[in-house]
Amino acid sequence: MKTGRMFRGFFVKTISFVGYTVQYGCIAHCAFEYIGEFVSCSGPSMEPTITNHDVVFSERVSRHLCRIQKGDIVIAKSPFDPKMNICKRVIGLEGDKVCTSGPSDVFKTHTYVPRGHVWLEGDNLRNSTDSRSYGPVPYALIRGRVCLKLWPPHNFGVLAESPNDGRIL
Amino acid sequence: MKTGRMFRGFFVKTISFVGYTVQYGCIAHCAFEYIGEFVSCSGPSMEPTITNHDVVFSERVSRHLCRIQKGDIVIAKSPFDPKMNICKRVIGLEGDKVCTSGPSDVFKTHTYVPRGHVWLEGDNLRNSTDSRSYGPVPYALIRGRVCLKVMRIQSHFLTYSLPQRPNHKHFEFELLPFYVVFINEFFFLKQAVQMILS
Repeated sequence: MKTGRMFRGFFVKTISFVGYTVQYGCIAHCAFEYIGEFVSCSGPSMEPTITNHDVVFSERVSRHLCRIQKGDIVIAKSPFDPKMNICKRVIGLEGDKVCTSGPSDVFKTHTYVPRGHVWLEGDNLRNSTDSRSYGPVPYALIRGRVCLKLWPPHNFGVLAESPNDGRIL
Repeated sequence: MKTGRMFRGFFVKTISFVGYTVQYGCIAHCAFEYIGEFVSCSGPSMEPTITNHDVVFSERVSRHLCRIQKGDIVIAKSPFDPKMNICKRVIGLEGDKVCTSGPSDVFKTHTYVPRGHVWLEGDNLRNSTDSRSYGPVPYALIRGRVCLKVMRIQSHFLTYSLPQRPNHKHFEFELLPFYVVFINEFFFLKQAVQMILS
């Protein structure tokens, strides 16, 4: 009888533990989904603004209220790999005219960003695969806007403007 | 002093009410995000499989486990309007060869679906804007896979069917009653409201 009662007590405790975990897991998930999340960036495509192994905070509110603007740095899902994320700067919104030729080309070519899409480019133009290679990215793939850099501590703060003059028309 | 205590009691009750609402709202949101949701479809692009004003259930598990297959009907975010959703059938996955010319064209053209994209087409080929006009759609835009369509209400049971390809037989089955009770109430209520209004 005593063992039966112990098992039942143990079972009830496990169920309530699982219940609390699910509850707080859901609340945490919604906080990351609707408020913001910490992101660790890797790769050279956003230097010098964001370097390899930097930790940034990306807020989700702008994305849900559709308030992403030109010049914002955004985290988006990669159009070529649904499990990877990319971190680039928004150069053009829907309807904008963007320059698709390089700075060293003689003939400048332009294109218009289609409806519902954005044009993303990394700050390190020489070492970045972005919309110049794979075209405009649907707005719905954007996850959040990077607003603060948290690590390394000597670079803490708001992120700099685009170092490339003339890319944002 | 008494008014102060009343205000504090009222304040504490409001805070705990808000807390419970946020808590259960988050749990409901996660259920819709990771398990599935009911979707009301509009438009003619998926006839005869899904007609205007049909209600379907789209499950999210396949999308998160990357198990969407050719022939599945999916709900995806529209590439041209981030607030709209589209409901189409997956014709090709990444790397597949898809036919981009119409059935009446003399010269057949083909294209390969790029990595991380899918090719979507509506079942009603004459009246559907899909990948044939706007190209392949990134896989990350897919929200869920349509698995059940609500057919009709028979006594206390709702009958569902799996949307198959056109020219395939639909097979119907009945859900267990304890799942159906909540859905039943909602649909009876809706029917009652419609009867009252008509």
